[in-house]
Amino acid sequence: MKSIKFTFTLIIGLLLTGITTLSYAQSGEYQIDGKTFGMPEAEVFTEDYDGPPVVGDHLSMLPNLEPLDYEGNKTHEVRIDIIAQEIEVADGVKYEAWTFGGTVPGPVLHVREGDRITFTMKNRSDEPVTITEPTKEGSPFMQQVAQNNYMKAKEATMPMPHSMDFHAGTVAKDDKWRTIAPGQSIKFDWVANYAGSYIYHCGTPSVLMHTAMGQHGVVVVSPKDGYDTDYEVDKEYVVVQSEYYLKKGSGDLFQYDYEAAQNRNPSHVVFNGHQTILHDQPLKANAGDRIRLHVSNNGPSGTSSFHVIGGIFDRVWLEGHPFNEMRGMQTVLLGASSSATIDMIVPEEGKYILIDHEFADAEKGATGTLKAGPREK
Amino acid sequence: MKLLTNIAPVKITLTVLAVVMLSLPNWVGAQVLVPSGSFHSVMPEVKGEPVAVNSFYMDTTAVTNKEYSEFLQDHEDWQPGNVPSIFAYKGYLKSWENTNSDEVVNPDEPVTSVSWYAANAYCQSVGGRLPTLNEWEYSAQLMDFDSSADAREFANRLMSWYSTFDSENVGDVGSTGIENRYGVKDQFGLIMEWVQDFKPVIANDLSLDCGTVGRMQKLGNAYSYAASIRYITRMSFSPKSTNSTVGFRCAYDVETIEEKEASL
Repeated sequence: MKSIKFTFTLIIGLLLTGITTLSYAQSGEYQIDGKTFGMPEAEVFTEDYDGPPVVGDHLSMLPNLEPLDYEGNKTHEVRIDIIAQEIEVADGVKYEAWTFGGTVPGPVLHVREGDRITFTMKNRSDEPVTITEPTKEGSPFMQQVAQNNYMKAKEATMPMPHSMDFHAGTVAKDDKWRTIAPGQSIKFDWVANYAGSYIYHCGTPSVLMHTAMGQHGVVVVSPKDGYDTDYEVDKEYVVVQSEYYLKKGSGDLFQYDYEAAQNRNPSHVVFNGHQTILHDQPLKANAGDRIRLHVSNNGPSGTSSFHVIGGIFDRVWLEGHPFNEMRGMQTVLLGASSSATIDMIVPEEGKYILIDHEFADAEKGATGTLKAGPREK
Repeated sequence: MKLLTNIAPVKITLTVLAVVMLSLPNWVGAQVLVPSGSFHSVMPEVKGEPVAVNSFYMDTTAVTNKEYSEFLQDHEDWQPGNVPSIFAYKGYLKSWENTNSDEVVNPDEPVTSVSWYAANAYCQSVGGRLPTLNEWEYSAQLMDFDSSADAREFANRLMSWYSTFDSENVGDVGSTGIENRYGVKDQFGLIMEWVQDFKPVIANDLSLDCGTVGRMQKLGNAYSYAASIRYITRMSFSPKSTNSTVGFRCAYDVETIEEKEASL
C-alpha cells in the first residue's frame, strides 16, 4: 500500500517537473539578411560544477573591455553563474546582492557581430562562492576582481529562482530565458546578430526586484566592419548606470526597499555599481585622445541624460549600431535598457565629469571622473 | 479586524472559534483545526468567486531538525547518501553533520534542504500529507490586524524578508511571533514551505516575465505583491529542489484526525 502511494507521489512529482521542461521544437537554424535565427532548444540540467563562476576569454570587470584578439567570427564558450554576494555600493552601504558572477553590474562580455555564444549558467544562489581568489581558469574578470575588489565582495547565500535575458540575443524567451531553481543549470546558444551594447538581466518576476537586487550587466557587440573612427581610438571604457533601492535593515546590512522601487525613488543612482567608484578610480586619458565610451543605462526604472562636463560627443552611435550615427551631441538620453557608443575628443589636461544631467540622479551618485593628462602626441 | 488579503474591514462572523489542540503520543508537534472558509489569492480565479477551502488540520509549526532526524532513524531510505538522485538534488540535508537525533545541530530549527519528495514521505509517515497550496495560503492570510496601516506595515516587512532570506540564521520554530488566528505559527518570517501542488497546472499559462507580478497583483496591496513573489518562487522549484530556506509542515484531513482521536 505504502509503495503504491509513493509511486503515485513520484508520478505527480514527475508531472510537476514536466511542466518546466516542455519541449520547444525548433525549426532549425536559418538565415535572413545575414542574421542567424532558430537556435537549438535550451538544456536544463544539474551539474556538480564548483569552479570559477565566470569563465570565458572575453569577460572583464567594469570599466574594462577585453580586446577582440581574433579575426572574423568565433564561438565563445561563456559561463556566468548566479551567486549571492554581500557587496558595498556606497560608503558604509552594504547589502546581500543577487548577482551574475559576483559583482553589480556583472561581467562585461565582448563579442563581434555574428559571433555565436554557447552560454552556461548555474544557479548557485544556495551555495557560498568566493570571487576574490584568482584562479588559473576562469576569465580576465576573475583576475580583475581579485586585484581590485572595490565592492568588497564577500560570499553569501540566498536561494532564489533566477534566469538570464540577454538583450543581445534574438531567441524565444520561454525557452532560452527560462527560470531555473537553485541547483539547476541552463545551457543555450545565441548569435550576436546586431552590433551594439546590450543589457542582460534576470527575467524572473518580480523583474523589478531581481534587477534592482543587482542582476544586470552588459554585452558589447562590436560591429563586424567596425566604426569609422576605430583606428583613432586611444582608450575604450564601459560605463553602466543603474539604480539601487535600499533601506537600512535590522543589522548592519541594507536591504531592498520595495516601496521605493515601486515609486521610482532610488536611494542611489550609480555608475559601475558603486556610488563613488569613478571618482575613487577615475577613467584615464590624455589631452587630444579620442576616448570611446560604451554607455548603458541598466535601470531598472530610471532614464539617464548622459553628459560629460567640459566635452562634446564627437560621434554617438545610438544603441551602438554603426548606422545610428549622430554628431556633436552634448547629452544622450538613454531610456531603461538603452545604450550608446560615444566618441569624445579629450580637449585638454584636467578633469571631466561624467554625469547624468538629471541632477536628482547626479546627486544620488550618478557622476564620475575622467582624468586627463597632458597631450602626448 | 482586518485581513491581509482584504484590507477593507472584515467582520468576523465566527463567534466561537473552535481551536482544537491535539498532542497525540505518536504524533510529532501539534496540530490545529483550520475551519473551512474562502480567500482571494493572486492566481487567476473566477471573477467574484473566492477560492473555497474545506476544514483541515495543520501542524502549528514547521517540522524541526530533531523531528526529521527521528524520521530518518526509521526510514533509512531517506538518509543522506541513500536517497536516489531522482528524489533529491545533491544539496539534500547538506548542513547535517550526522543524523543521530541526540546530536542534531539546531534541533528546534526547521529542517530545510529537503526535497518535495522527502517532505511527502515524512508527512505520509506521520499519517498526514503536505498542505495543498490553497490550504497553506488560506491559513497564512488568516491574520488579524488592528488597522489597515498595520496590515500594510506587515506586508512591507514581508517584502523585506523575501529579499533578505538568511539561511545561516534561521530561528527556532515558533520564534517569529507571527501566528494566524487559529494558532498556526511562522508561515512567514522563518522559511518558505513546500505545498502539495506547488506548481499548479495553471502556472504554465502565467508566462513568467516582467508583467507577471503586475497581472498577479489583483488585490492591489503590498501583501499581494509579496504573495506573488512567493507563488512565483515556489512554482519555479523542481520537486527535487533542496533549498536551504525551504522546509515544510504537514496537514491532515479532518477524518484522519477524528479516526485517530476515536481510536485513543
